[in-house]
Amino acid sequence: MDFAIKFAFDILAFTSVMVLIVLGLGVIASMMGIFNFAHGELVLLGAYTVYLCDEYGLGAWSGVIAAPIVVGLVGLVLERTIIKRFYAVPIIAMLGTYAIGLVIREIVRGLLGGHYKSIPEPISGSFSAGGLDFSIWRSFVIVTTMVVIAGSWLLLSRTSVGLRVRGALENPMLARACGISTARLYALTFAFGAALAGLAGALIVPLYQLSADIGIRFLVQAFLSVMLGGVGTFEGPVLGAVAVGAMAAGLPWVVIPVLADPLVFVIALAVVRLRPQGFITVGRL
Amino acid sequence: MSETDRTRGISRRHFLNGAGALTAAGWIAGFTGGWVLRPRWAHAAGPIKMGIATDITGAIAPSGNANWQVAQFAVEQINTAGGILGQPIELHLEDTASDPKIAVGNVRKLIQERKVDVVLGGITSAMRQAIKDPIVNRGRTLYIYPQLYEGQECTKFLFNTGPSPAQQCDRLIPYIMKTLGKKRFAMPSANYVWPQLLNKYARKVIEANGGEVVFEEYYPLDQAEYSATISKIKDGKVDCVFNTVIPPGLQPFVKQLYESGFQKNGGVLSCVYYDENLLNYHPAAEMEGLISCLDYFQAVDDPFSKTLQQGYAKKFPDTKYLFTAGSASTGMYRGVKFYEEAVKATGGKLGREEVAAALDHAVLKEGPGGGAAMVPGHYHAKMNMYIAVCKSEGGKTRYDVIDKADMVDPREC
Repeated sequence: MDFAIKFAFDILAFTSVMVLIVLGLGVIASMMGIFNFAHGELVLLGAYTVYLCDEYGLGAWSGVIAAPIVVGLVGLVLERTIIKRFYAVPIIAMLGTYAIGLVIREIVRGLLGGHYKSIPEPISGSFSAGGLDFSIWRSFVIVTTMVVIAGSWLLLSRTSVGLRVRGALENPMLARACGISTARLYALTFAFGAALAGLAGALIVPLYQLSADIGIRFLVQAFLSVMLGGVGTFEGPVLGAVAVGAMAAGLPWVVIPVLADPLVFVIALAVVRLRPQGFITVGRL
Repeated sequence: MSETDRTRGISRRHFLNGAGALTAAGWIAGFTGGWVLRPRWAHAAGPIKMGIATDITGAIAPSGNANWQVAQFAVEQINTAGGILGQPIELHLEDTASDPKIAVGNVRKLIQERKVDVVLGGITSAMRQAIKDPIVNRGRTLYIYPQLYEGQECTKFLFNTGPSPAQQCDRLIPYIMKTLGKKRFAMPSANYVWPQLLNKYARKVIEANGGEVVFEEYYPLDQAEYSATISKIKDGKVDCVFNTVIPPGLQPFVKQLYESGFQKNGGVLSCVYYDENLLNYHPAAEMEGLISCLDYFQAVDDPFSKTLQQGYAKKFPDTKYLFTAGSASTGMYRGVKFYEEAVKATGGKLGREEVAAALDHAVLKEGPGGGAAMVPGHYHAKMNMYIAVCKSEGGKTRYDVIDKADMVDPREC
């Protein structure tokens, strides 16, 4: 029983990390049709914000709060200056966002001097429940992830802003004819996705370490999650991330670790082959 | 030498010092055709050309830059003291960019265009394997490899100045087993050649001393989740983790191990490549009690080593790249000094055969961590080895040296 709880907690903790990272990517891909290859670097910027706040003595908490705001603003500027030119050409958008990501990554690498930096958890240590130790920060990440999923879902499905975003996604022409400014909506959606990436970066960096490649590590698996879950819905990428995260954390328990990574891809690609539309094909949001 | 030469030499040097910060950041070395650091005076026979091939940019740039700074520091010491038998050393740098494919071309430039007399450098084993052929076989040039590594490199004209597995394990593992009383080992490792061969040797030492290896497992270098490993460590009642996982996979592993209460319950984490630079990659609390075994620690109480550190700090104030053992820096210092001794012994002759013959039994009286001596016919050096344990106090880490072994044999070749 102890083993089962511990196992479930470990899988859940890693899955939460995966979901957090995929959330912003999924929102932008689903709502705007843009595959944002700079997503990993937006995660990196969130992590870097925490590092800067820590460095200037503002404390790690201020960093966690500042990260989504800062990265959201960066996203807004990026959308207004560059991304908006890509809506008609999704393939070029991939290359363009990849270039943006490369620039951000190499600048941060330069600023860090290529070193890794350790970021302390805002609340470190562990708590005991039923004779088992659980890491406080991992628990915090799990809870925050659930809150963020619920919040994003409510925002998109239950508010008028969400309705307009979905309307603009469904039929941009008609939305514009109804007096909805799609340009402004896209900018807001992109900024929102970027803010989610920033939050993800801020929350996961204490679990790993700050380095220029922190985002790249998860980017490929994040794309796999979006493919697996299917583009065009909110739930799809989230479910995809749950599946990929659980596989990535669970497989090393049963096969040798060097095989686990490729195996995640093999299984996911097989599923995509059988269900090209992803898990969710009906009941769109 | 003329006045114009003098000013050029100095301004280049200043330029390089400034550029060091930028190359360190990985920004400009990529599109330069290598660097030259000229001595301040000339000699009738011309300068001795020393080539440095190291990773100024790319994933392991922090180590490469430390290497380059230590090479400059050692060569400046020699040149200030009058050179080798009056001949100054001219330093030539090529960036190997943490990428063997790029490195091969750049190293060829050192050999063919700059016509250097010796090449020092390479940090990873993959890099050594890639550049040794262009240097030693096709380039017919002497090669000195400065990093601690997996052993079994017995190429003629290739001299290793860092510690071998025997030097890192022969003292450390019996210490962990006899003094600390740990018997059940786990070997989590990054999946490449150094951990594989080091583990093979360490396993022999563990089993010869009556210990047991509970599991030996290899991971992708950037694995992010280790709960399965932690569970095996717990279930297997492991009391010593002999770790060869490397960054970026290392930080999440160490964190999860710490969170599982391994150290709190008396477990020992040992990491034989961990130096002062790498401690900063983790929160201080997670490093408490980590045991490392290297040829030098900054805490080593040796007057000459202390003078070296002061000189280095004076030349590179506030540098991000420390003079430590883990990033091949001590091996680099030793390599430069061994070469100096060898050229002195040949009476200033720079031919590969003559210098190699002298290098084969060269001895250094002093160095970081103490003296060193090449073992004749074995291409490796005897050196002092230290066991140190990490202490964390008030969020800061330091190493306390707890054991020293004099002139340990490399047992290679």
